[in-house]
Amino acid sequence: MLQMKNVVKVYRTEIVETHALAELSIHVRKGEFVSVMGPSGSGKTTFLNIAGLLDSFERGEYLLDGVDVRRLRDSAKSRIRNQKIGFVFQSFNLMPELDVFDNVDVPLRYRRLPARERRQRIERALEQVGLSSRMRHLPSQLSGGQQQRVAIARVLAGDPVLILADEPTGNLDSLMTHEILDLLERINDQGTTIIMVTHSAECAAHAQRQIHLRDGRVAEVDEPPSLVRGREPSLAPRLG
Amino acid sequence: MLAYQLRIAWKSLMRNPGHSLIVAGGIALGVAVSTLFATVRHSFAKDPIPEKSDSLYYVRMDSWGPHEGYPGDTISPQVTYQDMNGLMRSDIPVRQSGMFKAQLYVFPDAKIGRPQREIVRLCFADFFGMFDVPFKYGSAWDEKADKGPEPVVVLSEEMNERLFGGENSVGRSVRIENRHFRVVGVLDRWRPGIKFYDLTQAQVQAPEPVYIPFEFVRAMELRTAGNSDGWKSPDQRGFAGFLASETTWIQFWVELPTAQHLERYRAFVDAYTLEQRKGGRFQRPLDNRVTSIPDLMKELNIVPKEANATMVVSLLFLLICSLNLIGLLLGKLLARGSEIGVRRAMGARRLDVFMQHILECELVALAGGAVGLLLALGGIEAVNLWTKTMFQRDDFFRIDWTMAGFAAVAALVAGLVAGAYPAFRVCRIAPAVHLKSQ
Repeated sequence: MLQMKNVVKVYRTEIVETHALAELSIHVRKGEFVSVMGPSGSGKTTFLNIAGLLDSFERGEYLLDGVDVRRLRDSAKSRIRNQKIGFVFQSFNLMPELDVFDNVDVPLRYRRLPARERRQRIERALEQVGLSSRMRHLPSQLSGGQQQRVAIARVLAGDPVLILADEPTGNLDSLMTHEILDLLERINDQGTTIIMVTHSAECAAHAQRQIHLRDGRVAEVDEPPSLVRGREPSLAPRLG
Repeated sequence: MLAYQLRIAWKSLMRNPGHSLIVAGGIALGVAVSTLFATVRHSFAKDPIPEKSDSLYYVRMDSWGPHEGYPGDTISPQVTYQDMNGLMRSDIPVRQSGMFKAQLYVFPDAKIGRPQREIVRLCFADFFGMFDVPFKYGSAWDEKADKGPEPVVVLSEEMNERLFGGENSVGRSVRIENRHFRVVGVLDRWRPGIKFYDLTQAQVQAPEPVYIPFEFVRAMELRTAGNSDGWKSPDQRGFAGFLASETTWIQFWVELPTAQHLERYRAFVDAYTLEQRKGGRFQRPLDNRVTSIPDLMKELNIVPKEANATMVVSLLFLLICSLNLIGLLLGKLLARGSEIGVRRAMGARRLDVFMQHILECELVALAGGAVGLLLALGGIEAVNLWTKTMFQRDDFFRIDWTMAGFAAVAALVAGLVAGAYPAFRVCRIAPAVHLKSQ
């Protein structure tokens, strides 16, 4: 699904160069749930941005779903982001002036889907995250956990093959954290690849594989047995 | 997609109404000033009779003396009485009329008011049909009245109001100087922009309040109240000498519906001139001009240079207003980097982001343009009041649909100028940088 080889990302100012990623090589297989951990400044978010085609890189190779993204134009990257990738952010990043329905609608609008299909997808996605009754609520009328579920519904409506989650539970209490992680696991059980950046070892334990970054490189990879989540994937409840 | 982007733009504007008001206010100011001065220019420059301007022609001839031409490297803007009569012999024009204005006493009913000197236009019956003059009551006089001349008169709506309280006065009598004229027609409101049929003097004044047949010039021995030019003293004394003189004081118009009519008529005027040359007149090189209204307006520089200059300055003012808003809009967009980043992450292309912000700017600009147009309407009213004494009318400057369109386009261009650079800047920034700004 995602294959990075010797990727280098350097941030430059007039007086200093910072090597955010230094020859980073990562391979994530289709259907995997991978967590990325590391101290601040280790390059986690930079990795996620490059993985999500939100930022460019200086050197190296990056194949996303078999496509060499280095050569793509901005519009092609936008199309891939729209059709293949879903983003979940720490601070939810919902549009405050749009209600739940319209927030979930955002990626579908850029896909230029007909109104009827958009409505069906939105209703289905909100049903999957249990927010069908809140369609016309504004984000400010929802709890943090509910807002993150709306953000996940926004991802689900687009039916991506890869979800990139940047500290998705960072702003949530422990109860909500479990709720969101359970939701992500259920999505992963449907075959969607998930890469989740987190500081929390507890959250990371929900992933099948933990990648530790340090100084822009992979420092360590933990590949625990499949039961590390504490349950058999085949026993996971089906979504939808 | 456009409807969606408009809806999002509206919501975004409503999120920060204070900022939107400032931007709209800046554009309103620029649009108001530029529309005001563009309207002033437009009022001079617009075609006063667009439906007929391609068939109406003004006739001039270089009848000046052999040694020195008309001052200013041009020819006299009017024709002599004898040349008017010569031109009137042509049957090529479908309509034609010589005309001039005189200042005569008009006597209302003694119970209504005292006699007043009014500007009276002396013209032929064709004047009314040729210039599509609208009638409220009655009609123009006929050819028989021209020849008589019969004592008939056409009044403007305002004069009819003053003399007869606005009622249908057709058949009633009006005393002009020492003669009684029968009213045959009352004009409906007629307000061409420029008084195109007489561009020799006071072009912005309202049309005359009284019209009588041209031939009363002889019967009443009338002199023009407009300009007159001559290059030699009359050979005879008295009024007959004036009529036979080389003094030019008559405006002459013809209606030529086709290019063939025009070609034939030009040939006729040249032939007339050459014939006159045999009698000792027209000793200068042949220079006859049969000119359309738009060409005549250009030749006579009807649009004052000041009107052009102030319009250019006002457009620069609008540009400065727009440029001043660039910083404000850039700041706003950069502050919304997080939202832009999210949209880009969700698949918005640079073009989508660009269009979104341009639409937002254009929405504010249109709102500003609407306010600017209202301000310009107020400004034009003030200008009309200010120039009322000068022009003897308070409706010369008018914001018509063309000017309303100008205001809308000016607002849209201002919005584009103000919004394009900020929108371009933010859509060039990598989405990751926007997301980092949250």
